[in-house]
Order: sequence, then C-alpha cells, then structure tokens
Amino acid sequence: MAFEVHRQHLPLFEDDGRAAATDDEHGRDRHYLPELPAEDPYAAGHRTCAGCGPAIQYRWVLKAAGGDTVVAGPTGCMYVANSTYLCTPYTVPWAHTPIASGGSFTSGMAAGYEAMIRKGRYPGPFPNIVVMAGDGSASDIGLGSISGALYRNHDALFVCYDNECYANTGIQVSPTTPYAGMTTFTPFGKAIPEGKKLPPKNLAKMMAEGHPHCYVATTTVGYPVDLMNKTRKGLNHVGAAFLHCYTPCQKGWVYQTSMTVELGRRVVESGLWAVWEYDPEERKYHYFHPPVQRPVTDYLAMQGRFGHMLPEHVANMQVAANQNWQDIGMDVPQNLRDLEDPERHRRLKEEEYSMPLNRGVGA
Amino acid sequence: MSVRGTHIPEHLRLPIAGVTPPPTEKEGQRLFPTGNFRFFRPVYRDKTPPCNHACPTGEQIQKYLDFVKHDRYLDGYLTILEDNPMPSVTGRVCYHPCETACNRAAHDEPIGIRSVERFLGDFGLNLEENPIKKDLPPLNGKTVAIVGSGPGGLACAYHLRRKGYASVIFEALDSAGGMLRAGIPAWHLPEEVLDKEIAKLTGLGGIEIRCGVRVGSDPGGITLDHLRTGYDAVFLALGQDVGRRLDVEGGRSRGVLGALEFLRETGLGRPVKVGRNVLVIGGGNTASDAARSAVRLGGGEATIVSLESEDELLIVPEDLEQAREEGVRFRPQHSLVRVIADGEGNVTGAVLCQARLAKDENGNVRPQISEGTEFEVPCDTILIAIGQVQVLDWLPESFTERGLVKADEYGRVPDDSEAVFAGGDVMRGPSMVVDALGDGKRAARDIDRVLSAQPLEPDGPVEVMPYERLNTAYFRHAPRTPVPLTPAGTRSKSQKVEVTLAYSREEAVAEADRCMSCGVCNGCDNCYIVCPDISVMRDARENGRYSIRTHYCKGCLVCVQECPTGCLEKVPELDFDEPDAVVRMETAFAPYDGAHAEQAPFTRQLIEDAIAEYDRSKTVQPNGRGVTP
Repeated sequence: MAFEVHRQHLPLFEDDGRAAATDDEHGRDRHYLPELPAEDPYAAGHRTCAGCGPAIQYRWVLKAAGGDTVVAGPTGCMYVANSTYLCTPYTVPWAHTPIASGGSFTSGMAAGYEAMIRKGRYPGPFPNIVVMAGDGSASDIGLGSISGALYRNHDALFVCYDNECYANTGIQVSPTTPYAGMTTFTPFGKAIPEGKKLPPKNLAKMMAEGHPHCYVATTTVGYPVDLMNKTRKGLNHVGAAFLHCYTPCQKGWVYQTSMTVELGRRVVESGLWAVWEYDPEERKYHYFHPPVQRPVTDYLAMQGRFGHMLPEHVANMQVAANQNWQDIGMDVPQNLRDLEDPERHRRLKEEEYSMPLNRGVGA
Repeated sequence: MSVRGTHIPEHLRLPIAGVTPPPTEKEGQRLFPTGNFRFFRPVYRDKTPPCNHACPTGEQIQKYLDFVKHDRYLDGYLTILEDNPMPSVTGRVCYHPCETACNRAAHDEPIGIRSVERFLGDFGLNLEENPIKKDLPPLNGKTVAIVGSGPGGLACAYHLRRKGYASVIFEALDSAGGMLRAGIPAWHLPEEVLDKEIAKLTGLGGIEIRCGVRVGSDPGGITLDHLRTGYDAVFLALGQDVGRRLDVEGGRSRGVLGALEFLRETGLGRPVKVGRNVLVIGGGNTASDAARSAVRLGGGEATIVSLESEDELLIVPEDLEQAREEGVRFRPQHSLVRVIADGEGNVTGAVLCQARLAKDENGNVRPQISEGTEFEVPCDTILIAIGQVQVLDWLPESFTERGLVKADEYGRVPDDSEAVFAGGDVMRGPSMVVDALGDGKRAARDIDRVLSAQPLEPDGPVEVMPYERLNTAYFRHAPRTPVPLTPAGTRSKSQKVEVTLAYSREEAVAEADRCMSCGVCNGCDNCYIVCPDISVMRDARENGRYSIRTHYCKGCLVCVQECPTGCLEKVPELDFDEPDAVVRMETAFAPYDGAHAEQAPFTRQLIEDAIAEYDRSKTVQPNGRGVTP
C-alpha cells in the first residue's frame, strides 16, 4: 500500500520594500524586518572567517528552510570551516559529499525520502532538502551532477554560494571569478596585466535556459528578505530549484570585513550582478531593478583583488556592466555610457569613488 | 583581544575523541567559541537624535514617532507628556525647530513632526481621563508662586505637580493662557483646545490659577515680597505683552494700534474695529498674524510693510505662504515716515519711503532710510508690530537688565532667597511658545533641586547624530505627507476656522514611519539578521537593544556597518580588559594532550560499557568460559 507524500509549505515573508524583488510601491518606508523566525539551524560556533559572506547566506537559507530540513554540503570552504574536528554547527541533519557529487547525492536523498514515505517507513512530511555547493563545485567540478539532478527534477533546492574563487584551497581561479579578478592562479604581471582575461561563467542563466522546468533565481547577501523568500519559493516549488547567491569572501577579495553586506548591494547597483527570478510556469525572467545605478569603480575600488586594474580594464568592466543594464531592461544613464571610455579612468588605485559610510575596519 | 591566555576547561580534557556533541541553537557549537578572533566589539550606544536636541522642551520625538509607527498611541502620548504638558497646543502653533533640524531633510523632506504631535495631542485630549493622573505623587506640602499663566507658567506648574509640588499661578488677564490666548489668533489655536488643555492641567489637583491679579502694579495688590514670603519659590513667566511704540508724526491718530493689543482684544473676544485697508508695520510673526486677522475681521486688504527684504522676513515659511494665499500683500524694504490724519484725527493714509534693515554695534535695529523716496498710500488702520516689551518697574533693579529679567544659566534671578526663577519671553526676549515650555520644565526641575537642597547642575554633553553617520541604504525615498489646510477662500473669511488641519490616523502613521530613528536603536532586527556568527541575540527585545554573544562574535563589524540608525559602535577589545570584564573563553583550539572534543553522554556510556565488557571478559566466569590472566 502506498502512502501519500505530504510536502511542507513555507509562507513568504512580508516584504515591505526591503527585498530586492520588489519596488517600493507600498508607501511605507518602515525599515523593520518582518517577524523573522527565531530558529537558527545554522548555529553559532563555526570557524569561518570574520565577516564571511557564505556564512551569512547559510544562516539565511537555513533560517528560511526551518527545522525540518536535511542539508548536504559538497567539499568547499563551508564544508572545511564548518566541520573541523568532526564538529558541526548544524542542528539539522547534515552530510558531506565529495566536491563533484553534490547533485547526485542530493538526488539520492530526495528520491530516498520519497520512496520511504510512500512505503510508510518515514512518518513526517517530506523534508526540505537543501544542498549548498560552492561555485567551484556548482559551476566547475560538480556541474554535471547538479545539472543531472535539475534535469531529473528531484525535489530539492540546489544553492550555489558564489564567492568567485576556490577559497578553501587558498584562492584559486574558478569559472565565476570576474574579469580581472586576481587569484593565485591568475596573478597580474607584464604578460597579462589584468590578471584574469576570461569573463565569468553565467551559471544561473545556464541553469535556467538548460532546465526550463526548474525554479531558478539569483540573489546576494545584500538583500535578506529577498534571499529568504527565494529560498522558500525554491523549497515550495515541487521539483528541482536552483538559487545562485553572491557571497563575498573577505580573504579572497581583500576588503574590510564589515563591508560584506554593503558589497552585496553594490554589486547589484553597479550592474555587475543581476538579481532575477525565473518562473517555470510562465517561462519568464523577472528582473530586479535597483533604485541606484553606480559606476563600476564604486564596487571595484573596495576590493584588493582588483587593485591592479588599469584604465582600459576598468572601462572594459563598465562596458560589461552597461550591457548587463540593458539585458535586465534598464536604461544606461549618460554618465555610465561616458565611463566606457578608458580616457575617463585612471588606475583603479588612484580612482575616485564613493566610499560607503565607513564605521571601521573589522578584525 | 579579550582573552588573557587560553583556558581549557576540565570537561574538554577527555582523552578520547569520539562522536562530537551536537550544537544547540541556544548554546551554539560549544567546542568552537570563536570570540577570541575578535579585536573590536560592537556596542550599542544610543545618541541624541537632532530633533530631540533641537526641541527646547527636550521632547523624545524619535520615541513617540516609534510608538505611533506601531499604533501605540497612548504610549506615544505619555512620552510627550513627560516633557510637554500641551501637545495639542504645540502641535498647532509650534515653529517646530525639530523639523528644521530633522536629518531626513538631507534625504528627502523633513518629517511632519508637529502634525504627528498634534495627532497625539488630540488623541490625548479626547481621552475620558487624564492618563497621568493616577501616577502622580501626593502633594508634599510645598507651594510655588508662578507669575503669568502663559506656556512657561503652565509648564512649570505642570512639571512641579509631577514632582509633588502645588502651585498658584497669578494671571493679569481675566482668563488663563497668556500669549496662547491673547497673542495667538483663534484660527491658529482654537479657544476650545486651549481651554481643554488648561482644564487638563488644573484637573490634576494642586494647580490653582488666579485670574485678574496683576502682580506688582496694582496698589494694595500682591507684590514680589508677598510671593517671596508666602511661597517656597517663585517663577517669573510674565511674558512681554506691551507692544513697542513707533515714534512718528501722527502716531497717536485714531486708527493706529499696536498689533499685540489688536490681537489680544480679538483673542479675548472683545469688539475691535478694523478698517478695510490696513497697513501692518513689522516683519515678524506678529505682523503676519495681525495682517491675517485684519483680513478676516475687516474683510478688506492688509499690507505688511517691513524693513526686511523678502528673504529676510522673520515669518516662518509656511505662515508666509499661507498669508500670501489669503491675499496679504507685502511691501518689503519700506519704512513708515508719518501718519496722515483728517481733521477729526482719523487715519486716512501714510507716508512710506524706501529703507533697508541695518543694525548698530549693539544689535539694535537702525533703519537706513533712502531720502527723497517718500510717497503716500491711503489706509484706514495701521497696526504696529515692531517688537514687544514688559513693564518691570515693580521688580528690584538688580533683577532687570535692558528691559528683561536677568538670570543665570539655570534661569535663576539674583536674589538672596535663591528660589526666584524666570523663564520665557520676559527672560529671553521675544521667542517661541516651545522655548517658554522648555524654560518652565527646567525651572520646575531646578526649583525642586533648590527646595530639596540639591546642587544645580548643567545638562551633560550630548552626542547628536548627524545624517552622514546613518546607513541610508535602508531608507527609501518617501515624500512627506502634506499637511491638510482649509482652502484660502474659506479660511480668510472667518476668525474661527482653523487654517491647519489634522492628519488622519493613517497619515500620522505613514509620517511616523518615515522617521529614521537617528542614533537610537529601534529594534529593526538588522544587526540580528546580518550577523554571520549568530551572535546578536534578541531574547530581551523591547523596542531596541540586543545582546552580543561575546563567546562567538568574531568582531567582523558587519552589524555596525549595517545598523541603519548608527546606534551600534565599534569599541576596541582592549577597552574591556578590566579584571571583571575579561571574557575568558573555554576553547578547544589550542593543541594539548588528548582529544579536541567533548564526549556526549551516550558516547561516554558506550565506551564505559565497552570497558566493562572487556573487564568482564578478563574475569573467570562460573561456567568456565573466559581467560584468566
């Protein structure tokens, strides 16, 4: 006799102008967060660096997912830093998988829970199954297995926390490292003054275009309500969902620890990261239009990994950003058009840019 | 660093690494107390918002806006009452230094604080019982004499009552209120509102208002000595109710009136005659009020003749705009030369000339007149609004200086009794209602200190939060809710119709919602959610304040950076390096003999069971099995 599989439904947070996904049409300017759940399945006591972007993302995703959740983590810095000496900060079941098999492992978990529930061997509702892979695992080594899991439409949420490098092994280049981003494998020098020549892989678009039946979204750690709502939408979606999240890495990118969340906003406001949602029902992309449009220097100059950039490299970056603005359906203001000219730039180190309010250097 | 040497607790020194303890949400993963990563600590330290700082009464504006935001109107009303006894009055007539100081002006538009205050004030007036009455202390038997029942006197009496003192207020006019009644027109402040606010104060018990008693001047009446001997302390809040006269030819003709006297007569409901073609001399708020009242009363035209240019006028901007809408005309940079009267002494016109505002080295106004530019205008009434004074000849000479009562920084008048205080216009010259309210509050505080033999102390320094230190990424641009007005056509025909109208509940909440809570924690949960180390705890949350779990906080300062209000600050860990404040953390980081992990009880049990079984196997069993060493 087959038992029915009951799935959880997570309500969305009230979103009063704080989430990236909506414009401020509510008339209210209250900057209070909605009542956040008290539970934190990602508990304190983990050895990530101070100001870790992925740690913030882990916390938000698991807070949104709640206590009835099963987590898998392919090898990456969030595996190493969080599970040293066999201790983990997870209050929910967690399993490590090899770096290449995040997708296949999770497929097995999802299929296994479904089968066990059908056979009456597992009592509760279908748990929220989340796998959080780094960009190295999701866009490079484990891409095939995650694509396979999405293709087969296993009911799980695949999260890529994108810190744009292999941070765990000491900052090596990954496919999502941005143009001119310095890593130990892309040092700048006489032969290649920009450090990295290749543009980054557009992982989320690839997932959405390649698996049109899946819920796919992108977000950053700059927008807590947006990130948590997209997590819940992905988990509520019956079938596979993919969330690509921008998470700054303080050690790899060389910035002040306090700027993690600020960078999450600035990357969107400078046009270098598009926040969007792909709706598989409509087969349409819904783009977030940030309220501020900044020159790319506002974002680049905050980070040491771009410190070597020459005027032409900064201009190249602005060209790419302007292209992105058009892609998401926004007009490019004339001042940003003008900045496509290398003559308008200096070396990034000497460039003037709008400093965020600086409340001090962290640890 | 807050750690002086790493201490490894006994329970972590177990020799066997095994299954590790699971973390709990409450305790975290105790094996990794990451607090010793930290060099800086986030600390909550509230600053003073600029609105609170600008308000002479020190109203906690941010706090009551926050209450309104959360639909807690009674709490908001009680918050105002801590500093200001009459929010319905100030909510209508205050020249809102708070809105001028509001940081939101640098963002988009300042918050309509006065209108929210009025909303709360009217909410309070409509309550059946005064909510503070049940919490008042009993009277302590001491009584303070207060001269003048204007805002200063009433505020002093109110704050004294809250401290347990009774008071007797002496008012020269037939009804209480001072300038609120006799200076501010009813279309600004309706009589019923003022009556209700005064009734609320007298209803507290212990506040007596004696009207029709002019202290000092009446022969055989009450003198200063009576007050000094008959009461425990004296507060002089006489105000300035005598209009300054203008010495020009024809200045005593029929139809030349002091603007202040004109406003007083209309305010007290006495019949006043005003022509259809009125000239008002002066460039301040009294001139504007007089001109607008004259338009309402006479139904004719009023022109404000001022030395000041259009930009220099001392009329508050919204009043100026409303006056223009009502048809008041302006003749800036002109001066009155002489008044023309007919044979019976009635005004028929005036001679004006071009002039400019100039001041001598003492700051006194000395008009610079352009000779030869005289011209004649017809008019039938001239209102003089060039300043005001008070009759002080009944006070000892040591009390007065340049027409004002002399007082030290505490508002204390030099007197042997050390219990005579002054405040309001009579001490500081023409100023705002809210200044007088603030003086009354301070005088009450200091009278209490003098009478209970405490030293007088100045206010401590405050740190005012500037706009630049807010994280404005969290404040979307939102326009100010416009303050509703009665249409100019309707309001300019009546002395009773209120010009400025009230916010609705929704409008008040929307406006309070715009408050950025500068420098003061309002519990927005931002620090809580951005913490990567789950170290900001909100267990004890009540409108702000969180605790930082220093065992885990790594000092990344993301919370400090992302705090919208700027109430979070970074403090170097070394500042905490006092014996009691040192956080000594239990940690498993340091290499030492043995395992790195604490054993869970069930693991320990497994091991103990295994050892017991092994021990058993070494013993000879009755059935002969087992090995004997």
